Amino acid sequence: MGAAHISVAPSFILTSLLCAPQRHRVRSEVLKILVCMKQVPQKDAPLKLNETAAWIREDVSYEVNEPDAYALEEALRQKEKHTGEVVVITAGPARAQQVLREALAKGADRAIHLDDNAFVALDAFNTAKAFAAAIKDEKFDLIFTGLQSDDYGYAQTGVILAELLGWPHATIIMQIEKNDAGIRVKRELEAGFFQFVDMPLPAVLTIQSGINKLRYATLIGIKQAKNKPLRKVSLAEVQSAIGENLQKIERLYVPQKTKKTEHIEGSPSEIAKKLVDKLRNELRVL
Amino acid sequence: MLIFRKPIAGVERPQMPADVVIVGGGPAGLACALRLSQLIDQHNAAHADSQFSKENIYVLEKAREIGQHCLSGALLDPRSLRELLPGFEKEAPLDAEVTKEAVYFLTEKSKFKLPITPPPLRDHGNYVISLNRLVKWLGGKVEETGITIFTGFAGAELLFDGDRVTGVQTDDKGVDKEGRQKSNFEPGYDLNAKITILAEGPRGSLTKQLIAKFDLAKDRNPQTYGVGVKELWEVPSGRVAPGEVIYTMGWPLTTKEYGGAWIYGGKDNIVSLGFVTGLDYPDPRLDPQRVLQEFKQHPLVAGLLEGGKMIRYGAKSMPYGGWWAIPPVAGNGWMILGDSAGFLNSARLKGIHLAIKSGMLAAETAFEGLKKDDSSAAVLGQYQKKVESSWIKAELWKVRNLHQGFEQGMYAGLVHTGLQMITGGRGLRNRYPARAGHEHMRKLAELPADGGPEAHLLGPAKGDGKLTFDKLTDLYHSGTKHEEDQPAHLVIHDTNLCNTRCVKEFGSPCQNFCPANVYEMVDDATQPNGKRISLNPSNCVHCKTCDIADPYQIITWVPPEGGGGPNYDGM
Amino acid sequence: MPDTILVVVEQREGKINRVSWETITAGQAIAAATGWTLEAAVVGTSAASIAAEVAAKKLAKVYAVESPKLEPYTPDAFASALKQLLTAQPPKLVLMPHTYQVRDFVPKLATAMGGTVISDCIGFKHENGKLVFTRQMFQGKFAADVSFNRDAPWFATFQNGAFRADKAEAGAGAAPVETVKVEIADGVVRNKPQEVFKEAKQAVDLTQAEIIVSVGRGIKEQKNIEIAKQLAEALGGDLAASRPICDSGWLPMDRQIGSSGQTVAPKLYLALGISGAIQHIVGMKGSRTIIAVNKDSEAPIFEIADYAIVGNLFDIVPPLIEEVKKVKAGS
Repeated sequence: MGAAHISVAPSFILTSLLCAPQRHRVRSEVLKILVCMKQVPQKDAPLKLNETAAWIREDVSYEVNEPDAYALEEALRQKEKHTGEVVVITAGPARAQQVLREALAKGADRAIHLDDNAFVALDAFNTAKAFAAAIKDEKFDLIFTGLQSDDYGYAQTGVILAELLGWPHATIIMQIEKNDAGIRVKRELEAGFFQFVDMPLPAVLTIQSGINKLRYATLIGIKQAKNKPLRKVSLAEVQSAIGENLQKIERLYVPQKTKKTEHIEGSPSEIAKKLVDKLRNELRVL
Repeated sequence: MLIFRKPIAGVERPQMPADVVIVGGGPAGLACALRLSQLIDQHNAAHADSQFSKENIYVLEKAREIGQHCLSGALLDPRSLRELLPGFEKEAPLDAEVTKEAVYFLTEKSKFKLPITPPPLRDHGNYVISLNRLVKWLGGKVEETGITIFTGFAGAELLFDGDRVTGVQTDDKGVDKEGRQKSNFEPGYDLNAKITILAEGPRGSLTKQLIAKFDLAKDRNPQTYGVGVKELWEVPSGRVAPGEVIYTMGWPLTTKEYGGAWIYGGKDNIVSLGFVTGLDYPDPRLDPQRVLQEFKQHPLVAGLLEGGKMIRYGAKSMPYGGWWAIPPVAGNGWMILGDSAGFLNSARLKGIHLAIKSGMLAAETAFEGLKKDDSSAAVLGQYQKKVESSWIKAELWKVRNLHQGFEQGMYAGLVHTGLQMITGGRGLRNRYPARAGHEHMRKLAELPADGGPEAHLLGPAKGDGKLTFDKLTDLYHSGTKHEEDQPAHLVIHDTNLCNTRCVKEFGSPCQNFCPANVYEMVDDATQPNGKRISLNPSNCVHCKTCDIADPYQIITWVPPEGGGGPNYDGM
Repeated sequence: MPDTILVVVEQREGKINRVSWETITAGQAIAAATGWTLEAAVVGTSAASIAAEVAAKKLAKVYAVESPKLEPYTPDAFASALKQLLTAQPPKLVLMPHTYQVRDFVPKLATAMGGTVISDCIGFKHENGKLVFTRQMFQGKFAADVSFNRDAPWFATFQNGAFRADKAEAGAGAAPVETVKVEIADGVVRNKPQEVFKEAKQAVDLTQAEIIVSVGRGIKEQKNIEIAKQLAEALGGDLAASRPICDSGWLPMDRQIGSSGQTVAPKLYLALGISGAIQHIVGMKGSRTIIAVNKDSEAPIFEIADYAIVGNLFDIVPPLIEEVKKVKAGS
């Protein structure tokens, strides 16, 4: 009887391996993570509209999109925990390279730069398509993006990318833990609620801001970054993957607020009554 | 309790060897790096067997981006940049060539144009520029040549070995308000350099350390300074022509203060204007930002700015002391460039070209030092000699006594200046003495309570929000940002003095002379005078005025965590 | 056949998420402007009962989209279910509220259908027969009018508070409810969500608060912050402060509003003893309603306030708290 069990076991294991869903990876300690990063105008920079008023004048200071910096930090921490590789990618003109250099200085291993001014004008859909095309020969376990960009604020690129790749995804992630089946992530919901979600790999995650303290690049890191591979991808190389934008910014303008200040007067108790009346009936917050 | 920044004790610091470390990525530091690179390239091209590497040459820049902390009027005398980069005019971002100059003497309501523009202020052949943009462009060139610029890293301490400077320690990152290490703490590196070059701009903090340690100021006049408070404006088309230069003297200052204003026409309807106030005024209640706001109300200026929009604000000190205040500029393992040394022509109000030239001369000396593998005072002292036999000295010699002449007031100053002009700078004697600016500050008890004729310069500006602004509104337009959770980098050595003596004697002038609202006296019933010194360090625009003007000299400005500071885009 | 607008209503724990009423209001407004037909869909379990509630509003039809695989929420299930509905009943425009859940699946759904989402809109315009959606960009510095560059299906999500829930018009009678059964095959849903739980957040996220009571220098002393806290609690809002208050350590840094703190745009921002320095204003000027209390009639805060109370906050706040409590208890 024992011998029969023993002989059955290997074929059972073999069969279950063959029957397992395509995407179930053989367990690996090594994590290959792609972090999608964006360069955006500096937060407090005074911005001006360009002549067409469909975009801003580009002669401002730029910085890394803050949520993406947190996505990178999370990727670097995962790499430190599990060993692996962190690759950073961005789409933008020459100036966007700065974001990649900083990421490499912080510990990313490789960078991919879709280098062309035209990438700035692409919508989220086409940006995701360009990324997908640029990484088609790579095998990532995880793709991180920041939860949204500070300039557009769409919060879409990561989710679209997941759909294009056919991968599962989760958004506004606070925590990631790797396990044998894949990962367990902590999702932030509204009003102070959270949720754990188990997911298989590979997966796309959009990462919440502020979940960790960002590390500093060190002098050594900056020096070493110069020798890390930075692959440039031209617009032509991904041209066939992208198309016309699905949406169009007709115009940008400074929001006009017509504010009439209403004074509420009287004794304190009169003011209190008047105010509460407004809160209740006009503003509907009570 | 105020906790002040200082290097964290007891941590192991990463060591990095360097051939040359240049502290400061402004015009002097970058010109030095670029010239050094040129010399290395030239040498390597001719000597296949003895190649020099640029691998271990570094520029440390505390701003997050090159040029971000660079502020000046500015007018560039292209002389040295032409030597460094012949044909630079074709690529460099220059706003306009100077087309016309005018010098006005102002009273409260009227103006008198000087019939002849004094020779030092004749600017034909010079360019209106944004120093920030020029430095950004130079920085790009430096990086192209393969020299590493570490942005976001400050030179926090000099490293010494006896009478030698052996390098620079960079700032500790990730230290919280209480001086404790945060989870992302990174200790500053010890950059052990053969040659350390200080190009920190006016009142450099490492330069101050160096001067103190080796008593470099002992045979020199004390360095004296002015603070330039600047606003960048966008005005309706045609108001000011690109390349138009206006200087003013007189109102709103009285004869007791030294200073004046500039108005430069840039391109795209941008006007640069600012007021420089000498930091040797007598009334501690004087507020240099207020002075600028008063100046703008003069009909000449108000007319120019009407309907315009203020887009950026900033402030920076500048060294007025002239030739006699320049310390020795080279020693064992060190050299000092640009404004840190005091290479500024206070008559022409220009220093960028001198900074660049000093950078070039230092580079030549540094290269000799690298070739000989000898960075002792004997070798680096060549830089001192080069400066003395260059047009830097020739130019500064003629105005060596200018600012000192004004120490007795404007009329005396003008007389002295006149004399100096016809005697090649000598005036009444070869070397006029000077007093440090803060020593001119009078106690409140000696001054009229209502301020007297200076009343309009004293205390904070209220601002109308259109032409004039209160300090906080102006400050917002400096784009200044710092990591909030860090120790205060304005090191006050005796806060008790602030709360007890200074309140009474000078009325806490820090609240007035700081153009960034860093210093505030807040109510505190436990204090003898009911007030306590409080700091808003993250407002700091790195102008160094406090370090200079504080009457008790108990403030030491040290660099905050690298990456923080103003954002002088276009300034 | 006129084009249809489909509002996808969101539910939480078997109840309609209040913000969906705002989306109905938006849908009604667009329907009125364009002449298109308005419909709604409820997705998930208990879809039927919620659909009945929605049907009371003025619209043409409500779909109740059901499948056991829709509980708990996963993006795979929702995208699959809605794709089936939208393929069977193709609308011109699909509207949803810009909630965390919607952000999680609607870009996936749109991409799967060859469409695109204009997200986080604050309004719309119908000019010369063209529909454009307005949204904020560059952290509120600019507004953008965005149009669709390609044929339907169009997707748009509206920001919380962009439309008023109480303005959703009731219908003359109940709209018909149609149950739609969708098939979600095994293996489609790849995520396994666990139970939702509440947790004390380590950092306060004021950007999610609907009501904020904010204190400035005028509060004078740390102990006085208590009355502001009471007011915030009475209103059901969050406490925040301008920088000097946080710098002094009277409130933690994560309560700071302004250029060196958080930028918020709540429904109601009550500024107590705040002067209105520009560094603070930039962090809250996007608030829908600003009420300011300050002793100084010239305080810059009054330039951006909707309601101005010039007076001593210590006199005004206590009776205000009482009045709020009274009204809330009564209702």
